[in-house]
Amino acid sequence: MHDFISLLPLIIIGSGAILLMLFSAFEKIQLETASYISMGFFAAAFLAQLLVGCGPETVLFDKIFNGMLVSSNFTMIAGLIILGCGFFTAMNSHTYFKINLFCTLEFYAIMLFGACGMLLLTLSQELITAFISLEIMSLSIYILVGYDRSNVTSTEAILKYLMLGAFAGAFFTMGTALIYGGTQSTKFAEIGSFVAGHSGTNPLVLGGVFFIFVAFLFKAAAFPFHAWVIDVYDGAAAPVTGFMATALKTAVFTIFANFLAINGALHKDWITFLFYIAVFTMFGGNLIAIGQNSIKRMLAASGIVHSGYLLIALVAISTDNFTGTVVGYYLAAYAVGTLGIFSALSYLAGEGEKRATFDDFRGLANVRPYSAAAITVFLLSMAGIPPTAGFMAKFYVITSAFTAGHMTLAVLGIVSSILSMWYYLRLIIHMYFHEAEECFETGGSPLAAAATFILVFCVFAIGLYPIVI
Amino acid sequence: MFAEGLFSAFSVLAVLGALGLILFRHPMQGAMSLVVTMISLAGLYTLLSAKLIFVLQLIVYAGAIMSLILFIIMFLNIQPEDLPEETGRFYYFIGGIVILIPIASFLIKIMKSLPGTEATIVGNGFGGVKEVGLVLFQDWLLPFEIVSILLLVSLVGSVVLAGSKRRLSK
Repeated sequence: MHDFISLLPLIIIGSGAILLMLFSAFEKIQLETASYISMGFFAAAFLAQLLVGCGPETVLFDKIFNGMLVSSNFTMIAGLIILGCGFFTAMNSHTYFKINLFCTLEFYAIMLFGACGMLLLTLSQELITAFISLEIMSLSIYILVGYDRSNVTSTEAILKYLMLGAFAGAFFTMGTALIYGGTQSTKFAEIGSFVAGHSGTNPLVLGGVFFIFVAFLFKAAAFPFHAWVIDVYDGAAAPVTGFMATALKTAVFTIFANFLAINGALHKDWITFLFYIAVFTMFGGNLIAIGQNSIKRMLAASGIVHSGYLLIALVAISTDNFTGTVVGYYLAAYAVGTLGIFSALSYLAGEGEKRATFDDFRGLANVRPYSAAAITVFLLSMAGIPPTAGFMAKFYVITSAFTAGHMTLAVLGIVSSILSMWYYLRLIIHMYFHEAEECFETGGSPLAAAATFILVFCVFAIGLYPIVI
Repeated sequence: MFAEGLFSAFSVLAVLGALGLILFRHPMQGAMSLVVTMISLAGLYTLLSAKLIFVLQLIVYAGAIMSLILFIIMFLNIQPEDLPEETGRFYYFIGGIVILIPIASFLIKIMKSLPGTEATIVGNGFGGVKEVGLVLFQDWLLPFEIVSILLLVSLVGSVVLAGSKRRLSK
């Protein structure tokens, strides 16, 4: 019974997706109704996930599923983040698609399917299941990215993302094949006991793990595989970019952490590799972000930097009693900040996202003081200023790196955090210290604005949660 | 020894077919080289005594899917003058090879470090319909089930992306 309840959020999202898919065949159902339905399903699944709780690691349906799905506190946190992101994205889309008319009912069905794949990815502890859920997630995101077919940038984005995503998928299967060749199993538990039982490095396992890392690093937009992310984020619609930047990253980092936590020996072999990747990701991302003029492109680059911090957290995890608290907390803090800015962009960008660059947001504070204040809170959270969630998250990541004995990494993380102030504060300066040149008229429904202010509350709530509890 | 020779022959054919797929200019020639790859893969499956997969590979991939692809290519009626002008493709080709060299040398290094083993024929009806069915529906039930979600997503997605443009008002 407990197994079934643990799967309940996944079942709710899956049935919601199928229901909306069937609904989209009817002419009578309005786009707004569909967004309300998807919000309802996300909220129900979120509550179910919250009420179920989790406790220690449990293998779900051990007999039937052969130990392929494992739930734990970490997967519960990841599930909550994904479902929350889905809920707010549905709110943003409600507003966004009143101004930009290219949406159909299937949009929400595909978004729910994507969330379904992400939840499966967080739960899966087996490489083939992980591969299929990764593809469910990626396919849904490809479609959402290319939804506006009359837009050339969006078409370019889907083509780039599809091609490079196919590469990542091929690397993942290659890695799975090599690991299966080396260990005769694709289950995390059995790979772990194989690595523990054999001293010395098995070349097949080494190669397999390398190729799987390539796939994960690609999906997480880490250093050598980050080039796609800027164009893809720029080409997608604002709510979709927000969903991609937060929920997808959460799912990928959850499986990445679960995979690394298989065995201490495996994790130790790769620390140096991950160390360099983390450093290059942070500084490369900062370098790209400083040069950007469009807000979406800046956020994409800052997403790369945040992947770098998450990689620091992955370097520092302890595999003996793995809880993933630091990774989960960072993901939550990053998700509320990023999603908040995309909520604000969803209603401020206007028709066809005509306000896109830093200059377009000059003097926002004079005309719309509350929106400007909300964006400022999100930017400060992402830059890591107390008492926001972003500060606490960075604090935890850096202290965990210290305790694990990676001084250099911790110091470089602080340096990169200071560098990142440059482009976050630049937007704040544009909003506050310039005269307004236009009146920032917005259309659509007030839902995205509501989402923005709920997320401001979340930024402080998540930031204060560890202090209060 | 004979099996090893067959293995090398099929692998070389499969790689050549894949190369032809991306290097031929006309889509029809590309599709034909894909058939070569599909059939050589089927040959590799036989060497593994995977009977069912061999048959499915021939019927489904080399048969059904390829005829659909050929049908679509003929349906579009592509003439040589419809093909896009590709000027820098030689440089792209060189660039791709340069990127592939480290990955390939890495893989070759891994393969060389493996101890040699003698290939043996697996008994007990390995690869038959019943055995594959048992493995698929007992050990691998979950991946089998979630593939249906994957197919559903791709189905809906292709309808959305390729279907006629509809714009809902309001």
